[in-house]
Amino acid sequence: MTPLLTVEHLSKHYEGRRGLIERVTGVPHTVVRAVNDVSLTVDKGEILGLIGESGCGKSTLGRAILQLNAPIAGKVIFDGIDVTALDPVELKNMRRRMQIIFQDPYASLNPRRTVAEIVGLPLKLHGLASGEEARAITERIVERVGLKANQLDRYPHQFSGGQRQRIGIARALVSNPEFIVCDEPVSALDVSIQAQIIALLLELKREMGLTYLFISHDISVIGYLSDRVAVMYLGEIVEMGPVDDVLANPRHPYTQSLLSAVPEIDAHGRRARVRLKGDLPSPLHPPSGCKFHTRCPLAIDICRNLAPLNEDVGPGHTAACHRLAERVSLMDEGAT
Amino acid sequence: MSALLEVRGLRTVFHTRAGEVWAVDGVDVEVRRGECLGIVGESGSGKSVTFASVMGLVRSPGRVAEGEILFEGRDLRALSVREMRAVRGKEIAMTMQDALTALNPALTVGEQISEVLEAHDETLPARGQARRAAIRAKSVEMLGLVGIPSAESRLRQYPHEFSGGMRQRIMIAIALACRPKLLIADEPTTALDVTIQAQVLELITEIRGRLGMSVVLITHDLGVVAEHCDRVMVMYAGQVVEAGPTGEVIANPRHPYTRGLLASIPRPSMRGQPIHPIEGQVPDLIGMAPQCRFYSRCPERRDACLAPVAMRPAGEGRMARCILLDEVPV
Repeated sequence: MTPLLTVEHLSKHYEGRRGLIERVTGVPHTVVRAVNDVSLTVDKGEILGLIGESGCGKSTLGRAILQLNAPIAGKVIFDGIDVTALDPVELKNMRRRMQIIFQDPYASLNPRRTVAEIVGLPLKLHGLASGEEARAITERIVERVGLKANQLDRYPHQFSGGQRQRIGIARALVSNPEFIVCDEPVSALDVSIQAQIIALLLELKREMGLTYLFISHDISVIGYLSDRVAVMYLGEIVEMGPVDDVLANPRHPYTQSLLSAVPEIDAHGRRARVRLKGDLPSPLHPPSGCKFHTRCPLAIDICRNLAPLNEDVGPGHTAACHRLAERVSLMDEGAT
Repeated sequence: MSALLEVRGLRTVFHTRAGEVWAVDGVDVEVRRGECLGIVGESGSGKSVTFASVMGLVRSPGRVAEGEILFEGRDLRALSVREMRAVRGKEIAMTMQDALTALNPALTVGEQISEVLEAHDETLPARGQARRAAIRAKSVEMLGLVGIPSAESRLRQYPHEFSGGMRQRIMIAIALACRPKLLIADEPTTALDVTIQAQVLELITEIRGRLGMSVVLITHDLGVVAEHCDRVMVMYAGQVVEAGPTGEVIANPRHPYTRGLLASIPRPSMRGQPIHPIEGQVPDLIGMAPQCRFYSRCPERRDACLAPVAMRPAGEGRMARCILLDEVPV
């Protein structure tokens, strides 16, 4: 089966601003490699979880896939079409099929538009429906996500965070898309509301046959709902594979430390502790070689000089680490 | 173990245009010496306001209306502004959720630590060079304590020059500068990434052991409580609904809200099975009837819940606010 979405060697770099003196004297731009040579696939009907800490480039990757910020290199192939090569009109049509749900339900809804206007806008933009018909479709989707039809003429500020996230979901789904980038859709919500939204997203996926790229920093959420998971660190995917496999048998030291850092509710489920020293390095000056080497307890000389390549470590499971062959695991060693 | 802090019947009200909001309504807290007490609740549950009340930090339109706040037997509500200022920072210290807004952006980290020492530390030399040197030495020691490398030079830096995890450490260093007996940490790790969160929490736990102080950890994350707190208090809509030893509360929750909260947490082991979220949302506290506050969302609600519900014993060292406890034998 060909995947619904194929991302090949995608990169997105941001250039820092230069002052007058830098421009005159020809000092080069500082470059943030937010996403660096990322390749992945998402099958139809699948949920690919994308996990990483803040600043690792996971949201930039999600947006680059949708061409919301154009990547500087690489291809995004959706249902056989190279999205990076489309002209603006074709891209607009493509957007009907690829949508996004944003993290912040406060910032992502226009405060001066009613729910009906916000949710109905994609119908208007794509010429899918208008007038009475658009209103009826909007009503149906708004009710489906758990709001009431009589709330359609209210403004975003009249809703709670969880309800606003439902509005954002309705907006993403109204044009009947196939693929959704869920960019931390539950991170801003309280636990009980978070569970409601997760349950809703899973129901909608089943009913509408959707495919998700689900971005989160929460391993519990990713572990609960993904089929496969990709772990990102400083703009690169360091490990990817079936979620059971990656959670039970993480091969990259970063994945291992990430998993062991999660506070575990059940005492018996507690893992051996791996503690990383220090903070995420600045993406402005990423470390040489393997980008994780500055925090990696397993780093050896080669890690400082040479970036490791992705290797197969199991069926559909890849990791990028120089020490894979030795099968050293932090989780055995770090059992203190 | 005797209680370090004892709060009885605390009620804090906010006067708003829409009406009175009882953000904290009849809350009892006991913090024992040397323990870590976890306070769990969602936004609006009153967990932060409870401890802002303890610290005397509730400002107009808010007001602590009723209750006793006993710290080592002294009622903090009876203290003058000046006396209270001597308690804050010295006896009880608090760290805020957002380190970037809680720290003063215009002062160096060194200046902010020395402010606390200047105000409270009586062991310092009275004046002059000796005093400045002592403050400097103590500041360096504090940054070292919270694990900030090359403390000497970092004292001259401003908060924006530090990462999120480092800023949280600086706030902890300021809070601990006068060796308080009680540290109130309000969501110390919510804004941080998991690997950094783990570092900061372990730091708090380690320092607690070393200095023998008590810690109140306010959080919405039951996992954090499970790993770091001896006892836990679960709050909902301005009231405590359940309290007890952490392990037992998590293993065998007695209040439907605690059960719902635990069932709402997605777990990788539950993949493919539906989660059972608590339906609905937190009720509007304005004009709240004197009933069980969880009534509107409770799967086990009945008519008797429409009367006021008091906390009642729910096993050894445990309390819960639910009438079902009277029916089911403990």
